[in-house]
Amino acid sequence: MALDFNSVGQQIRQMSSTLRSSVDDRQSRVDRALSVLAAESSNWQHWADQTLQAYKKSPWLLAAPAEPLNSVYDRPRCPATYTLVAVDGSQIDLDRHGSAECFLINLGLVFLRYGSEPTCQLRTQPQLFYRDDEITLRDANGRQYTMAGGLVHAERDTREGIALAQLATSVADGSPCVAMQDGTLIRWSLSALEPWLQDHFLSRYLQQGLQELQSSGVALCSYISRPRAPEITGLLRLIADPELTESQRATPLADPYHGVNDFQIFARLLADGQRSALFRSLSKINVERYAEHTIYFFYLNVNREIVRIELPEWAATNAQHLELIHAVAYDQAQRGAGYPVALARAHEQAVVREADRRVFRQMLQEALWHSRLSDGGSLKADSKEWQRV
Amino acid sequence: MTMAQSALRIGEVIEASSTTWITGAYQLLNAPAFGSLIQATCHASDLLIYGLVYDIRTGSREPGGRAMVRGGRRYDGSEHYDAAIYDEHPDLTAVLQTEWSALIVGYERAGRIVHYLPPQPPTVHYSVYACDDLAVRRFTAQCDFFRIVLSTTVVPADDLLGTAIRYASALQADRREYELCAGRELARFLRDDYDRLRTILRMLTV
Repeated sequence: MALDFNSVGQQIRQMSSTLRSSVDDRQSRVDRALSVLAAESSNWQHWADQTLQAYKKSPWLLAAPAEPLNSVYDRPRCPATYTLVAVDGSQIDLDRHGSAECFLINLGLVFLRYGSEPTCQLRTQPQLFYRDDEITLRDANGRQYTMAGGLVHAERDTREGIALAQLATSVADGSPCVAMQDGTLIRWSLSALEPWLQDHFLSRYLQQGLQELQSSGVALCSYISRPRAPEITGLLRLIADPELTESQRATPLADPYHGVNDFQIFARLLADGQRSALFRSLSKINVERYAEHTIYFFYLNVNREIVRIELPEWAATNAQHLELIHAVAYDQAQRGAGYPVALARAHEQAVVREADRRVFRQMLQEALWHSRLSDGGSLKADSKEWQRV
Repeated sequence: MTMAQSALRIGEVIEASSTTWITGAYQLLNAPAFGSLIQATCHASDLLIYGLVYDIRTGSREPGGRAMVRGGRRYDGSEHYDAAIYDEHPDLTAVLQTEWSALIVGYERAGRIVHYLPPQPPTVHYSVYACDDLAVRRFTAQCDFFRIVLSTTVVPADDLLGTAIRYASALQADRREYELCAGRELARFLRDDYDRLRTILRMLTV
C-alpha cells in the first residue's frame, strides 16, 4: 500500500508552522550563547579543568576548550602544491533471509595531488566476508556475536581507518599531505557495545589506523557537513550551572540553550574562511580510550555552511598540521562547490547502489546454484519481492 | 603485436553491433578526427574490423551525469579557464570519458580486405587502433565501402564519406587520379540523387 499523502501532507503543514514559531525563540538563545562565550573567553583554562572534572557525571555532552572560547582564526594561505588522500566505505549487510551468510565491504580510495604535477587516482577495494570466523566473532568466554547490522558497520569504519593509514603511508613524501575522512573520527557507535566487542574494533582502529597515520607524518582530519553536535552548547550549560545541580533535581529545569546546536552559534561568529577555537571532545570513549589520539575539533565557515573538522591531538598540537588542515578543508570545499572533492570522489567510488545489490545477490545465487549449495532465499524475502493478488 | 601497433592503440571497444561500435578513449580528449579510419580487434583473432569515426563526445562516466561550469575567479583571486581547469581539478581525468562511434565499413581476414560487413562485430574490451597511412591507403584503394556509408541512416553519412575520401586522397600517390576515380564511383551510386552527389563532390575540394 502506498503512503497516504493526504494524511501526511496535513501533518507536514502542521510541522512547518510549529518549526517557524520556534526559530525566533532560538535566535535569542543564540544571542545569549554568544555573549557568554565572549564574557568567559579568557577563562578558557578554568573551564577546561571544570569540564574534565564534570564530564563523567554530566548528563549532556561536553567539550574542553583548548584556546580562548570565542577566538577566530583567518584562513591560512593554501599551499599551491599539496596531496590529499581520502577513504569512504559502504557495505552490503548480512542478509538473514538471503541464500548464504556473507557480507561485503566496499572501500573507495582517492589520491589527489594538486600543483605542479596534478594527478588523480581513484580505486575501489571490495571484500567479501563469508568464512565462519569472519561471520561469527567469539570472545574468550566463548560468547558468540554474529556480524550483522551495527557490527558490520563497525568493521567497515575500522577498515576505512586502516585503509586510509595504508594509503597515507604509501604516498607520504614529506610534502604537505592531508588524510581526510567523511564523518566523525570518534567511534560513538561503539560506546553501546559490550567491552570485548568495543575493544575488538577500537584497538585495531587505534593501532593500525590512527597510530600508523601519526607515524606517516600526514595531517589527519575528518569533515562533518551539517554538524548537529551540541558539545559547545553543553559547555555553556555547564557555565550556567557549574555544579550540575540542575541535573540532580527530580524534574530538571528547562535547558537554557534548548534547540541550539554548536553550528548555530558559530554561524554568527565566523566569517568566510575563519575557524573557531579548538576544543577537545569529552565523550567518554574519546577521553578513556583514544589516549594520545584523543580527538579535538573546530568549526569552520566554508562559505556555504559551517562544518565541523575533527583531528587527533597530535595534529591539533602541531601548528603546521593545524594550518594545513584549515586551509585544505576550505580549499577542497571551494573546489567541490561546497563539499570536499576528495570525499565526494571517495563516496562515488564506494557507494553500492540498489542495482549493484541486485546484481550481487544474483551472482551469489548463481554461484551457489552451480555449486549445488543453494536452498534459495527465505519465503519472507520472496514475499517482499512480489505482492500476491 | 608489433611495437608500431601498440603505439597506435587509442582505446577499447565498450559497445558493439554488426554495423557500428563505440570506443572508450584511453586518454581523455584524445579522439581521432571525424571521418578517420580506425581498426578494432575481435576474439576471432584473425579478424580485423575497419570503421569510420563519427559522433565524438566527452562527458560524465556516471550515467545521466553532466559536467558543471568550473571556469572563473576562485576564492584566492586566481582565474582559471580552459586547460587550467583540468590542472586545477585533476580528478576530472578520472570522472570524464571521451568516446566515439565508428561505422563499420569492412574487415580484413588472412591479409584480404573486404568491403562488406564482418561476420562478427568487434569484441567488447578489445583494443582499437588508429590506422597508419599505409593501412588507410590499403583499405581505401578500392571504393566499394562507399556503398555502406551511403546506405546508412544513423550518421551524417554524406559528411562522413566526403571527409573520409578527402583524407584518403591526400595519402594517394596520384591524388587527382584517386579523386576522379572516387567521383565516378559516387556518380554511379548516386545517379538518381544529383543534389546529394554535388554536396559530397564539393566536400572533396575543400
